[in-house]
Amino acid sequence: MSAIDWYLVLATLLFCIGAFGVLARRNLILIVMSLELMLNAVNIALVAFSNFVPGVAGKGPIFALFVITIAAAEVTIGLAIVIANYRNRRSLQADSFDELKG
Amino acid sequence: MPGGDFHPIAFSIIAAWILVCGIGVVTFKNIVHSAVSMVFCFLGVAAIYLLLNASLVAIIQLLVYVGAISVVILFAIMLTEAQEGEYRLFFNRQSIFAFPLTVAVAVVVTAILVSSRYPQPISLKSLTPNLKGLATLLFNVYVFPFELVSLVLLAAMIGAIVLARREDELQ
Repeated sequence: MSAIDWYLVLATLLFCIGAFGVLARRNLILIVMSLELMLNAVNIALVAFSNFVPGVAGKGPIFALFVITIAAAEVTIGLAIVIANYRNRRSLQADSFDELKG
Repeated sequence: MPGGDFHPIAFSIIAAWILVCGIGVVTFKNIVHSAVSMVFCFLGVAAIYLLLNASLVAIIQLLVYVGAISVVILFAIMLTEAQEGEYRLFFNRQSIFAFPLTVAVAVVVTAILVSSRYPQPISLKSLTPNLKGLATLLFNVYVFPFELVSLVLLAAMIGAIVLARREDELQ
């Protein structure tokens, strides 16, 4: 195994931890936090690829910076929706997001 | 890290740190503990960027994730009520399927990563350019996405204000 494999395995495991949080937890704020973990895992993979693969050298950090910016936008919008829903329903459970059902 | 070579001991410590904090985020019952665990996880990721010679990304990670996003999430936690109850109430019914599914995905992807061959030679030296090289890339080749992403941030800011506002203020 070369060095890049270790970084990619770390990114995979962190991504799967985040995916489990998104799938299994009920609290909406915790789901947003797990999404952040997944985005961080992707960033690790991007920076690792650009650090070790000659063809894409330098592009990974740039792309990671864009991902961080979009993540900041996503977390503000996501938490604003969570707060708006909490104000109407007095609940943070993902199950309380059922207004569009049927 | 001069040379950018692989440091097995530093990498193992930081990787274990990140994974333990990540598991803490998804398993803690108290959401404030989860948030603090998430901050430590972000710090570990910043250290991984330093190991990969990407000091600019490490600094941005510290500023945006550890600084801004953590504070926003802690504010959201403070504005809402903490949940009490039994441990199983914090997980939904799908978690019985979610756990084996994510473990299976992790095992399969790790096996593929370990056994795969790369089409082009993998460098053992660090290839990440220095700050000057990254800035040249960002403000020459990628200047259009850079400007576009600032528009996205502006739109997100306005959207967050509109969404989080009270209904009676709209009249």
